[in-house]
Amino acid sequence: MTTLRLDRINKFYGTLHILKDIDLDIAQGEFISLLGPSGCGKTTTLRCIAGFEAVSGGSIAFGGRDMTRAMPEQRDLGMVFQSYALFPHMTVAENLSFGLEVRKIAPADRERRIAQTLEMVRLTGYEKRFPRELSGGQQQRVALARALVIEPAVLLLDEPLANLDASLRDDMRFFIRDLQQRVGITTIYVTHDQGEALVMSDRIVVMNRGVVEQCGSPREIYERPQSLMVADFIGQSNTLTGRVTGREGELYVIATEDGPLRTHGAPGLAGEVRVMVRPENIGTAPGDNTLRGRVVKTTYLGASCLLNIETAAGSRFTTHAPADSPLAPGSEVTMGFAAHKAWAFAA
Amino acid sequence: MTEAVPLAPPRRLPVWWMILPAVVLLGGFLILPYASIVVMSFREASTSAVYGDGFTIGHYTEVITDPFVWGIVWRTVRTAAIVTLVTLLLGYPVAYHLARTRSRWASLLYICVISPLLVGLVVRTFAWLIILSNSGMANSALKAAGLIDRPILFLNTPLGVTIALIHVFLPFVILPLLGNLQAINPEVAMAGRSLGASRMRTFFKVTLPLSMPGIQAGAILVFVLSMSAYVTPAMLGGTKGRTMAVLVVQYLVDNFRWPAGAALAIFMAVLTVSIIVLYLRLTARAMRRLP
Amino acid sequence: MTGARKTLWDHVFTLLVALIYIFLIAPILLVVLLSFSGGEFLALPMEGVSLRWFEALFSNSRFYEAAVHSFRLALVSALVNGVIGTLAAIYVIRFAPAHLTNPLRVLMSAPLMVPEILTAIALLFFFFEVGVGNRWSMAIQIGHILVTFPYVFLNVASALFNFDRSQEEAARSLGANGWLTFRRVTLPAIKPGVITGCLFAFVISFDIFNISLLLKSVGKNTLPLELFDYLRYNFDPTAAAVATVSIALTFVAVLIVDATVGLRSLRF
Repeated sequence: MTTLRLDRINKFYGTLHILKDIDLDIAQGEFISLLGPSGCGKTTTLRCIAGFEAVSGGSIAFGGRDMTRAMPEQRDLGMVFQSYALFPHMTVAENLSFGLEVRKIAPADRERRIAQTLEMVRLTGYEKRFPRELSGGQQQRVALARALVIEPAVLLLDEPLANLDASLRDDMRFFIRDLQQRVGITTIYVTHDQGEALVMSDRIVVMNRGVVEQCGSPREIYERPQSLMVADFIGQSNTLTGRVTGREGELYVIATEDGPLRTHGAPGLAGEVRVMVRPENIGTAPGDNTLRGRVVKTTYLGASCLLNIETAAGSRFTTHAPADSPLAPGSEVTMGFAAHKAWAFAA
Repeated sequence: MTEAVPLAPPRRLPVWWMILPAVVLLGGFLILPYASIVVMSFREASTSAVYGDGFTIGHYTEVITDPFVWGIVWRTVRTAAIVTLVTLLLGYPVAYHLARTRSRWASLLYICVISPLLVGLVVRTFAWLIILSNSGMANSALKAAGLIDRPILFLNTPLGVTIALIHVFLPFVILPLLGNLQAINPEVAMAGRSLGASRMRTFFKVTLPLSMPGIQAGAILVFVLSMSAYVTPAMLGGTKGRTMAVLVVQYLVDNFRWPAGAALAIFMAVLTVSIIVLYLRLTARAMRRLP
Repeated sequence: MTGARKTLWDHVFTLLVALIYIFLIAPILLVVLLSFSGGEFLALPMEGVSLRWFEALFSNSRFYEAAVHSFRLALVSALVNGVIGTLAAIYVIRFAPAHLTNPLRVLMSAPLMVPEILTAIALLFFFFEVGVGNRWSMAIQIGHILVTFPYVFLNVASALFNFDRSQEEAARSLGANGWLTFRRVTLPAIKPGVITGCLFAFVISFDIFNISLLLKSVGKNTLPLELFDYLRYNFDPTAAAVATVSIALTFVAVLIVDATVGLRSLRF
């Protein structure tokens, strides 16, 4: 069942077209990430959903009710802000209580729900602390608890991990995802960190310059990008340009400067295409597709070794090799990758 | 299947009433009165009322051609310039120290800086009256140190007025500088040092130029305040230390020459503004480098 | 000026700064000290310690009346500005059309930018021009409100300006409407600015001289005027006692600010 529907959302700032025909259906309990580089419109989309920005065109519906012009407080949302936006003059418990008081929840009920929620975010015992007396990670969890305690229909998160240090950020990814699944709340998560989006989401919406580039499961986005932007933005990729010359069953045959390649790809491809292979899918033995090249540079990564390889036609590839690989710059190398690990999409 | 929720109330409530009392206060009791000084300065003098009916520029020509007035103008400008310069020289180290200190006494030192501001002008000037009198502490100390035989005349001279004004206005130069220096990233100065510049060089090439806005703000504030100071020169200056503000009040209160007093007051304001504009022109080059 | 080690220059600098701090505070301490003098003169060393000059002060009805007058002027100035200055700041920072923001900010801080003596003269002429002269006892009160207005405006405006507005959005997303958000989130956040501004307005009004000198009603002196007049003919520790009392009052206000919102939040 659809909880939230965005229908052809457009947003202008003066003459700047910030959002262009954004369509999005979000199902009950789904975790959706809005992912993209800064300025792509992901935060604006979130603020439109929250009601802090008025849309210039299109409609927003919550559970079938049109909420396009509703005030933020009428939308039944929980939101976690990048700066957390905790009320500095209220204790942790008072911060959580705020939304409940507004909803005229009876005091006994309030206390029970506050205690429950604090336990959920593992902050029991911190009720009387003020935000300034908490660490960044704890503040972050209070912000999360404050948004969850009102049991909103939708939880909105605006880059909530951006201000945490790296190790804490990794923990919080799993913490938030785990919490979301336990509570079963529909969640929209804005981030520019593709790692976060891949780990946490049911579906990822990749945005660029105000349009949705692609929307799909993390696996779809990673393995079957629909555009060069998506292929480049999520993970590392090797891309070649080529031309579809035929089919072999499920597979396309694509002519490139480095010879014919067999790949799978988006249905109905013809003419100019791009072929993408992830570095981890390229081996140093012949495969369905075999290319020869010369190692240009090796970079030690600890667990493995990154090879930069140039083919005779001048195409550049990166691939991984074992950390103790004997390949040195200048050595000739054979690369192979499976047809079902290569993906073609319209150029 | 979509049904409409009640629409939001219009976002722009009529809120201009919030500014109304303030606009009435400032428009009615600041802008209009300033306009009325200008009007007053062009009125004929009168013996039966505070001003006559006619229009005249006579008060201005009288003020501008009076050598007695010019003597006081010169003394006022000179005093204000000295006070501005000395407060900058004394205020800068204090602001610098306060901006960088991690001492636990910092709060107390901050109180030292702002308390003169909070203690009334009359009280502060009274303190200097005690210190600077012929048998006062300044003269006793100097005599005890063997520096003088006869007391220096501080009171009823421009010297005493200058000393007291420096004390009175010093906080006004420290506070803008403090705000400015605190805003400068200390790593910028460290970068200067790491590039091999000496401490002195780093200070003069990096910190000082970056603090120009604070210097400007403090200098202008103190100059304006000194040019228009009344209480201190009135209490300490006597006739020899009289400044323009004292003269204006004499015109108004003692001699009841309102139109002439108005002309003198406007002359004082125009002169102050002109000197500041000139100063800004001269320092424009130094300011242009700033971000 | 910290380096790896202290140099001679560090010590010279510290000494210099210490001397300037002493220069700032010593005259004020001197006045307070002399008010407890047992002798007849305002001179050091003091001839013993006594409270006789405070007794002399409290038996002087002119000083008492002046103090009451000053206190009332300051209180009214603080309260009136607390309301209209806060409203004005909210309007200018939040609601004013963009092209009006800067002109309004300049106008609102104008009483601070123009010399007080000039404002006093202007008001004097203006009240005569409109025919109320200085018979109107409100004239001096209006002058005090006018001159202290920017202190409230600037303090509240800066509190609003530094306030993280996502807190308001958080409150709205939690279901609070605009007014509730203002009352529960915005107002508490700017309260320190309002308190500081009002206390400042009070302290400054208590010390105002020029406005009072030119706008006072006949026979009704404020405390600074009374002290000024007293010093024309007298030079004894009673004046120091008056000063001490007014300094004490000021410091009570400063301590309130420090205890409630912290001194460094002050804006001048």
